[in-house]
Amino acid sequence: MISRATTAAKSTTMSALILLVSAAPVWGQSLFNAAGLGTPVEALDGRARALGSMGIGLGGPSILPTDPGGLARLGISTGVMAASPSWVEYSASGDRSGSFQGNRFPLVGIGYPFFGGMASVQIGSFLDQSYGVTRVGQADLGNEPVQTSDEFSQDGSVSNVNLGFARAINERFAAGLTIGRYAGSLDRTLVRTYGEEDEEGNVDQYIESGVWSWGGWSLTAGGSANFDGLEVAGSIQIPSTLSANASAETRGSDRSFSLPIQYRLGATANLGPSVLLHSSVVLADWSDAEDELSDAYANSGSGFGVGLELSRARLLGKDAPLRFGFRRVGLPFAFEDESVTERTLSGGFGLVLNETAGIVLARMDMSIERGRRSSANLTENFWRATLSLLTSGF
Amino acid sequence: MSTASIGRKTRSLSVLGAYRPGVTVAAVGLMAAFTAGCEEQTPVALSDDAIPGSPITVTVEIPWSEFASNLEVFGGYGSAEDIGQGVLAEDFAGSLDARTLMRIGAYPRIATVQDTTGASRPDSTLTILGGRFVAFFDPVESTNTTPVTLALGATTEEWDQTTATWDFAIDTINDQRSWAEAGGGAVTPFAEATWDPATGDTAVFILDSAQIASWTDTTDLSVGARIAVLDTGERLALNRALIRLDARPSSNPDTIIELTATTRGSTFIYSPFPQPPPDGVRIGGAPSWRTILDLNLPEVIDGIPEFCAIVSCPHTLSPGEISYAALVLTSRLTEAAFQPTDSIRLDVRTVLNRAAMPKSPLGVSLIVTPFGRTVPPEAFGSAPGLEIEIPFTGYARDRLRGTDASGNPTPETLALLSVIEPFSIAFASFEGPLSPAEPYLRLVLTIGPPVELP
Repeated sequence: MISRATTAAKSTTMSALILLVSAAPVWGQSLFNAAGLGTPVEALDGRARALGSMGIGLGGPSILPTDPGGLARLGISTGVMAASPSWVEYSASGDRSGSFQGNRFPLVGIGYPFFGGMASVQIGSFLDQSYGVTRVGQADLGNEPVQTSDEFSQDGSVSNVNLGFARAINERFAAGLTIGRYAGSLDRTLVRTYGEEDEEGNVDQYIESGVWSWGGWSLTAGGSANFDGLEVAGSIQIPSTLSANASAETRGSDRSFSLPIQYRLGATANLGPSVLLHSSVVLADWSDAEDELSDAYANSGSGFGVGLELSRARLLGKDAPLRFGFRRVGLPFAFEDESVTERTLSGGFGLVLNETAGIVLARMDMSIERGRRSSANLTENFWRATLSLLTSGF
Repeated sequence: MSTASIGRKTRSLSVLGAYRPGVTVAAVGLMAAFTAGCEEQTPVALSDDAIPGSPITVTVEIPWSEFASNLEVFGGYGSAEDIGQGVLAEDFAGSLDARTLMRIGAYPRIATVQDTTGASRPDSTLTILGGRFVAFFDPVESTNTTPVTLALGATTEEWDQTTATWDFAIDTINDQRSWAEAGGGAVTPFAEATWDPATGDTAVFILDSAQIASWTDTTDLSVGARIAVLDTGERLALNRALIRLDARPSSNPDTIIELTATTRGSTFIYSPFPQPPPDGVRIGGAPSWRTILDLNLPEVIDGIPEFCAIVSCPHTLSPGEISYAALVLTSRLTEAAFQPTDSIRLDVRTVLNRAAMPKSPLGVSLIVTPFGRTVPPEAFGSAPGLEIEIPFTGYARDRLRGTDASGNPTPETLALLSVIEPFSIAFASFEGPLSPAEPYLRLVLTIGPPVELP
């Protein structure tokens, strides 16, 4: 019975993992994907989202790639995976409006005890780049003008594969180091078709496409300190340039783009027996990339967030801490020479599915965010849900 | 080991909380709903500016000398027999004479009849008293609008249905025999009849029992019917014919029954046989004509300002930049005797081995539509000078690439032919390379800058 229960639990976990990974590719979440290198997609779990965090100093064990120091506090082997669908409504100048939706999987990670510390492998999202656009025109084919339709689609993303190691220096301090490799690809295809949409003509399509694979490295160093009732963490991420290597069939050229050094600082204070206050900040200046972009503007990607966790709440007889947060962060790329910000109000809860001897063996965290991304000519209002599952002790 | 200790160990290993399975199921179900319940939709950018670059589309007309060479016309494909239709003409358009030869099928030897008691039973002792040879014409393809007089006779010389021509009764390897009299030999006249297209599509020849009896031996190669038109200046299309037999059954001699015998096949012979055009394109006819040409697409485009503005000139074409390619032919007057009276359907195929012409096998049709390129008959008669486009975009791309989708070399020779060979005695004529309206190549080219990263 013991082994059967264990096997069943692992099978269920694996099934959920496979379902998560195979259900859909990482696709579009914002119209701002069409600006510059796309829209950042942070590798955060449900707890961080609910608390409006920048992914650092959340208090307690953490397996977020942006918080290498927090990794040392895991203690036992731990895995996490997160899914994050969003529903977006937009309105733009010229009375244009609409909606779209999408799903993404910003974080899959695993940590395992190693040489007195904790080693980790994390796959996280970094930049979301998918979008499409159609342009209708005319071409003179000799006899009469014929309608042309240029359908451009960009499909791809930049992700980050991280290998990390963290270790507690003493009871108060821990430090960690993560080496990341940028990965992913981008497929940009332009298809020109002739004639009306339902018309079967004998003029073939014109297709011009290019595929680039993303590459580059990042090094993230961080530490955390735990004082009585206060946990503070900081990290610095130093990236190489983001290189785009064209495939052999691609006529377009190789490119490289500057990425900013990202500084993160976060703290969680225990305000009372069951109340935690979290705040975090990220500093990242993307403006160096602007000179390398042909038709986009780069700005600051800095932001901050604050959140509150009520840890004594219970649901279905289990610990279910309630969380609320607010965050404001700049989008690095814009269509005009202006700053674009994303602001969200969030709420959520955690559900401890299994806990033994004070160690959480399984926990689900969920958050719901209501947010807005706004620029002079485009506003997106969105709902974003994030659900993550953390399991330990396998 | 106590029971309690076993229970504790079970909980510690059950990652998802074995003591609350409902919570576990709800959690996993929620995750599944998250992943499966949200349909993926790609955001659509609001501005055309998000499209990298804009391709240019230009139509280019390339003269014959820059893309084609070695035009040749070959004839003799198929036989008039293959059409399954006869042609009759007498001095049509001042020149064409045509007659149709038919083999007679076996007569019915048994029939079910009512005897004198009223009972139906088979009767194999039939006495043929006479009959009628009924010919069915195609009023649309026939040129006459007024009644014409026809003559039916019985052939007297051995003839071959497949190879018979105006001059030869048999024209096979090692056996070439001329007609004793050109045009089907000396025939035994049987009957005359009139066909008036205003009243129907049939002409009926009255036959006596002796005439019918002379057609009974189906193994005799000299046995057959020859039909001719006696009035001049018309060309008739004969669809089919059959023989209605009047017979007296032995079981009921007071009754006359009608039986039907069919023809076993037909061909037509005509004169004069057209000579290959020295300066033009010919497609169709019976036997059929094909026109062969070598095609070399220009690999470099230069001097088009729109293109040179976005790509460096001279620009080497890539196959994907050909959006449309077509050979444009200009129709011209076909010899009056062979002018089409119905639409001509043109086909274009690759010639797999030009050195083996006229016997080279052909590739598949390059025309997407199943029945080829349709051309109205007026283009070769009352309204010549019509430009006809024969598209072969896929071939043009393969030709530029050098190989087809399977990696096989792309033949450089094309054959212009009728979709069905032979289809009619009429053929299509187009202007050749030496004409002011020579064939040319129409290309629609789409050239754009490379798609680059933003």
